[in-house]
Amino acid sequence: MDFTFNEDQLAFREAISRFLAAELPPEVLRKNWETEDGCSRELHRKMVEQGLTGLSVPEAQGGLEMDDTAWVLLTPLLGYYAIADSVVDTAYTATGLLSALPEGDHRREELLTGIAGGDVGVAVAHQVNPLVVDMDLADVVLVEFEGEIHALNQEAVSYECNTSIDSSRRLGRISVQPAPESRLLENGRDIWAETLNRGAVGVAGQALGLAQRMLDMSVEYASQRQQFGKPVGSFQAVKHHLADVAEKIEFAKPVLYRAAHALANNERGSDLYSSHAKLACCEAAWLAARHGIQVYGAMGYTWEADLQIFMKRAWALDSYWGDRAFHKSRVAEAVLADDALIGPQHTFEE
Amino acid sequence: MKILVAVKRVIDYNVKVRPKADGSDVDLANVKMAINPFCEIAVEEAVRLKEAGTATEIVAVSIGPKQAQEQIRTALALGADRGIHVETDARMEPLAVAKTLKALIEKESPDLIIMGKQSIDADNNQTGQMLGALTAMPQGTFASEVKVADGKVAVTREVDGGLQTVELNLPAIVTTDLRLNEPRYASLPNIMKAKKKPLDTTTPDELGVSTEARVNLLKVELPPERQAGIKVPDVDTLVDKLKNEAKVI
Repeated sequence: MDFTFNEDQLAFREAISRFLAAELPPEVLRKNWETEDGCSRELHRKMVEQGLTGLSVPEAQGGLEMDDTAWVLLTPLLGYYAIADSVVDTAYTATGLLSALPEGDHRREELLTGIAGGDVGVAVAHQVNPLVVDMDLADVVLVEFEGEIHALNQEAVSYECNTSIDSSRRLGRISVQPAPESRLLENGRDIWAETLNRGAVGVAGQALGLAQRMLDMSVEYASQRQQFGKPVGSFQAVKHHLADVAEKIEFAKPVLYRAAHALANNERGSDLYSSHAKLACCEAAWLAARHGIQVYGAMGYTWEADLQIFMKRAWALDSYWGDRAFHKSRVAEAVLADDALIGPQHTFEE
Repeated sequence: MKILVAVKRVIDYNVKVRPKADGSDVDLANVKMAINPFCEIAVEEAVRLKEAGTATEIVAVSIGPKQAQEQIRTALALGADRGIHVETDARMEPLAVAKTLKALIEKESPDLIIMGKQSIDADNNQTGQMLGALTAMPQGTFASEVKVADGKVAVTREVDGGLQTVELNLPAIVTTDLRLNEPRYASLPNIMKAKKKPLDTTTPDELGVSTEARVNLLKVELPPERQAGIKVPDVDTLVDKLKNEAKVI
């Protein structure tokens, strides 16, 4: 089996990486945090022009119809540059859900066309998330109600704002009683299950990018900050901290790629792989934040250090689309099942 | 109007360049490569001329190893219509590049040739001028503004004394400076579309061009590391050091 990414996927990563590196230095992020929305509409418009919002929208609705394996290289970049997670929710998670609906429904097609063109922001309210992200910015909320899939205009949903530790996130606790007119699908349990996995993989990708960013920042700081006449990074205690984070990141990558491959190919182990990816990537981000604070001599937590931007995002994402207990229990369930495909007799292709 | 744009594959500007262990050349192993920034500005200018309705076709040309096709694809994703790859593994010097471009110009008959003023690897700043001499075409180098009208191109050049505007009859050669424009990013849909655009391959031999080197590369090494500065207690010591150690006054 060929595990390498294809030319298109690598070219996409390169293009988005160049775009974000130029458009989103930390000072712009700080500026965005202080706006009412917590994000930049201008940056969002540019991301739409780049084609990011249409990446997995079907071609018939103006998108590129790429699968989860294309996103798995991009979500870490979105995390690396701390792009609002509503971008991933709309362009990846919600698009995946809408694309899975039966073709021919005009609301499905309208929404997908709107997402590709950047005209529609979609929030996803799944029961695993007690709070919905960026309710203020969403035009439409996809709501799970007793296994049904409903699409409601934002005005039709009443919600209570909830402060986040990450100033770019606008959380809302929604209360909704959907009417039959807003229903997109009566029996949507399988699609919701797939959406949960996609949401978890999207968060895992962002967490991996956040971990890498915090590691890069910590390495840079440790190379410059001098103590006893030499950079603090030359001391073994600091080196070990950073090496531990690098190891976590490298070991989380294949887990994430495996989960995306499983999702793209509708594999039966998708629940296990996406939970594993969420746990591994968030663990790397958590450790990168913790060790980053120490390498910065505890300064990393303060508002003045850019590290806090990425650290707070990592903390906020840690419980999004399922907390650790939820994902650990899913992994345990899969591993301990009687028919678990564990052991040397089983291969990746099963 | 047909525009020919030259694009060069160089080490990405973010990469710290290192010599090979034996000092024989720059180490390119596992190094990220990209389109030369000045060439990217050239592509952007050509695309803007096409968007303004002045140009009808943009041909992107690159001379180099097989991997140089990646840079042509980037140019195609930015808006060029087709590509020509002159494949060679030889170390191409400015004169050989100019001769190769001349052979392509004779074949393609473009009305305007836009290229970077220099590449960020060798920093020669020679190819555009040599091409002008070989083809006897007028040249507008270090362009910070380009206006095409009535079979002529007005080029505002950045020169030591300020800005100079020259008017050239077409066909002409323009080399780009940094402030000519700000290149766009290649969007994801355009990267996909670029894959379907035609890309022809040829070789210097087929074009009848010799790539023989005229300069011998003896050794590549890093510049000496800069010494740390010192603090002096008073002005007299400073003057003494400038006079006797640095010998600058």
